[in-house]
Amino acid sequence: MLYAIIAVVVVLLLSVILIFNSLIRKKNDVENAFASIDVMLRKRYDLIPKIVEAVKAYMTYERELLTELTQLRIKALSQTITPEERVVVENRLGQQLTSLLVAVENYPDLKASTNFLQLQGTLNEVEEQLAASRRAFNAAVTLYNNSIEVFPSNMIASMMNYKRRTLFEIPGEMREEISAKPPVNMA
Amino acid sequence: MSRYNNFREFYEQELRPDLESIDLRRRATNKKALTVLLITVVAVMSELLLIPGDTDFPKPVPVIITAFAGLVATGIVSESYRKEYKEKIIARITGYADEGLVYSPEGFIPMDTFVRSRIFTLSCDKYSGEDHFRGRIGKTDIEFSEVTAKHRSSSGAGKNRSEEYTIIFKGLFIIADFNKHFKTHTVVLPDTAEKLFGKFGQTLQSAAFGRGELIRLEDPRFEKEFCVYGDDQVEARYILTPSLMERILAYRKKWNTNLHLSFLDSKVYIAISMYKDLFELRPFKPAADYNFIEESLRFLTLITEVVEDLSLNTRIWTKE
Repeated sequence: MLYAIIAVVVVLLLSVILIFNSLIRKKNDVENAFASIDVMLRKRYDLIPKIVEAVKAYMTYERELLTELTQLRIKALSQTITPEERVVVENRLGQQLTSLLVAVENYPDLKASTNFLQLQGTLNEVEEQLAASRRAFNAAVTLYNNSIEVFPSNMIASMMNYKRRTLFEIPGEMREEISAKPPVNMA
Repeated sequence: MSRYNNFREFYEQELRPDLESIDLRRRATNKKALTVLLITVVAVMSELLLIPGDTDFPKPVPVIITAFAGLVATGIVSESYRKEYKEKIIARITGYADEGLVYSPEGFIPMDTFVRSRIFTLSCDKYSGEDHFRGRIGKTDIEFSEVTAKHRSSSGAGKNRSEEYTIIFKGLFIIADFNKHFKTHTVVLPDTAEKLFGKFGQTLQSAAFGRGELIRLEDPRFEKEFCVYGDDQVEARYILTPSLMERILAYRKKWNTNLHLSFLDSKVYIAISMYKDLFELRPFKPAADYNFIEESLRFLTLITEVVEDLSLNTRIWTKE
């Protein structure tokens, strides 16, 4: 009888340790994924002044847009900004960058400038990697949220005071349904 | 595109005369091959009957040698028109499909490239291939060939030890330049575990040995068809964007067979399982058959369309 009780206690203890460790690992994955978003955001900050500089000479009607971009960047980089504010600023920054790229369509000279094309390539790259790190973050958060809500790990999570994290909203990408049928006989 | 309006015209003017002469050769060769085969059978039979049973001379030895020699001779005799067919017909269809493509009937993707792609983790012990194509479509360098890879497994010990080869992969192997730079390795495999075991399958997948981390992607349709492993969670998603996932799903539907993809060294490696032997002449059916020839073209276009299907020519990122 005593042995049975000891066995049960050992098994329970072991599973608590396992769940505890897996929760910590998942929380760290979330932090990690968040840090990789930050790296990309910083790359974007470095790029903004260069882009503004490159288009300034050509663009006559978009002065306001350019000023706003510069200000948004300063705001995002300031030490006092709260995380919630920062999300808002980042979203706005992303939108304004997109509208800048749309506006460029009206300036054929600018579109042909190699300097600008290079910057545009780098910006696309950063945006693509930013999207990837946001998706990686969301995947990590989903795993984490699931594990703090399902039984039995939710009990341990509440003891550790782990809270649900919110997902990043990902700007919608155009999705076309691609139809496909085998055009040849595979047999 | 070539100076012909359509493939029918190209076929009639360029291919048909040669196909007809190949057909003549094919029929003559078939006769020759049948004769050789017949002689072999007669020789084997007479050896069986004539060599007396009570000698200490091992009876099976000459029989086996004769049978083997006969088969080799048949092969040599029929080889000639197969080669001619590939060099004259398939090479010209290649030129018609895309002028930038170069065809070599006997070439194939080398084994170390196949192994390096890390699509298949079983050790590859026997490897062969044929029908190699190489070229540039738009901005994308591409090469592909048919390959067959086998794994040797042995069972038993001592005298009972037996070895056998099992097929790891047979089909088309494509290597194309990818439109983005990346440093780590990501592999997309057909999802057998999840289809069979559902959620439990996902647990099995995460324990897959010798692969990187399991990458869980947000598209449930993609997750149902494929499982993805990678060295880096972010870079795997940098490669597999929502639109590329959509494209891969459509590409799989188009081929309707097992599809494996590996992303390595800024290239994409695609293995398409297929038991059909492409670009071969049928020995007992006429070569001058428009539908048969057109099918080769359709296959070839289907393969080179990968550039379009996966949008590999889109170079809006830093890779030119």
